[in-house]
Amino acid sequence: MRAFNAELSKLFSLPGIWLAFLIGAFAPAIIATLDSMAEKEDIIAGASTRLSEVGYIGLGLGVQGIIILGVLAVSSEYLTESSESGGGNQITTSLTVISSRFHFLLAKAGAVTVISVFLSIVAIITTVSATNLILGEYAPAFEASKLIGAVCYWTFTALLAFGITILTKSGIIPLAVLMINSSVVTVSYLLTKVTKLAFYLPDMAGLDMFMFTSDRFHTPFTGGLIMFAWVAVLFIVAAIVFHRRDVAS
Amino acid sequence: MSVSSSRKITQILDAELDKLVTLPVIWLTLISTFIINLALTIAFTSAALQWGAGTQSILKTGLASMGYLQAGFIILGILATCSEYTGGQIRTTLTTIPWRGVQLFTKHMALAIMTIPVAFIIAASGVLYAFMMMRDTAVAIEIDKLIKTLVGVTGYLTLTTILSAAIGAFLRRTTSALMVLLSYYFVVSPLVRDFLPSSKNYFPDTAGSSMYMLPSSDEINVLTPMQGTGVLLLWTLLFIIVAIAFYRKRDA
Repeated sequence: MRAFNAELSKLFSLPGIWLAFLIGAFAPAIIATLDSMAEKEDIIAGASTRLSEVGYIGLGLGVQGIIILGVLAVSSEYLTESSESGGGNQITTSLTVISSRFHFLLAKAGAVTVISVFLSIVAIITTVSATNLILGEYAPAFEASKLIGAVCYWTFTALLAFGITILTKSGIIPLAVLMINSSVVTVSYLLTKVTKLAFYLPDMAGLDMFMFTSDRFHTPFTGGLIMFAWVAVLFIVAAIVFHRRDVAS
Repeated sequence: MSVSSSRKITQILDAELDKLVTLPVIWLTLISTFIINLALTIAFTSAALQWGAGTQSILKTGLASMGYLQAGFIILGILATCSEYTGGQIRTTLTTIPWRGVQLFTKHMALAIMTIPVAFIIAASGVLYAFMMMRDTAVAIEIDKLIKTLVGVTGYLTLTTILSAAIGAFLRRTTSALMVLLSYYFVVSPLVRDFLPSSKNYFPDTAGSSMYMLPSSDEINVLTPMQGTGVLLLWTLLFIIVAIAFYRKRDA
């Protein structure tokens, strides 16, 4: 528990985290607002084919904040300070204090999970109110089951970013890969055009938890399960690698 | 010892090129960009062949991965300037070259010299692959159009790299610069493009994309390639000037 508190305090003292909070809390709302404004006329005329997506699209595309959170949580530990101030890594200090690597990882993952659940709830509140504000009575009803799906999607995305960063140690690769893949036309989406297997990629499966588009492939539950399986496998691999790796390397 | 100023510039350029070439991360970035771009082109080509062979243009297929390819060059630009700040290399640099404006400008020059051939090779490799696979089915390709497009792509990628380098020099942290640029290029910009189509002509990436977009594509390209180049060049120069202004004032 103390390790968990320490991890939370470390996360909150990172300047980059505040940027992540800002993006995470407002990016989905802004995307949803723009989308609602674009769709408003169609919806009022009753001609919109995308009524079920309105609002949720913000939650599907606005995951950058949570990606930054997951990546920074690990990459900040491995940031080497300049040689003039000793060239130290935070990770050596962290592992001196919490000598069990497994506990350290668990505490950190727990801190990331708690923050992302919290952040996704904030994002849902801002997104839902933004959509209601723009569309008024035409706003679609937000069902609890879908919103829980969105919370799961955000949390799993954060944990995926976290796990990948443990393997790479530097934040550049996971940040680039995940940010590009959260763009409007994602690589995974293009891959689904080539092979059906791409529907089993974590983000495509995870989106099925709350985006009910015409080309969805899984039920919400199996979608969540597939994404969770990715997270679990990644964590096992990351835990083994982290357990066996020399800290200094 | 007094050195003539043109000789001085050459020496600084030499030193900056040397620093870039000896940075292992740069090579890693370039090689992975090349491989990933080729893999994406293979995917796009096979998809194009499946959907409707004969109707797709070779150039369009070969350059379909441009949107993702530019990420590699953004990373390249950021690494080139931000690597000075990991550890104390910046102090060594400024001890040997105490003219800050000249130093940063020359760094961008060196980066451009390095990027131009690489961007050309990477873009050409994609088009070449698409050409080999689609030779029999697609419409014939004109050589002068091909060269024009490839030059446009090279120019676009080079200017994007320089722009990222300037932003990297301004922010000084790899992660923050990466965060800002990637979220702009991959999230903000596509959304703005969808919701405010009229703003397309003014932003660095959308205006720059008219440098290589084919006139036959379904959207109306309002800018000619030269105008697109001009807009992107203006943005790049603006960011370089801002970066240099801050660099001269700031404590290293």
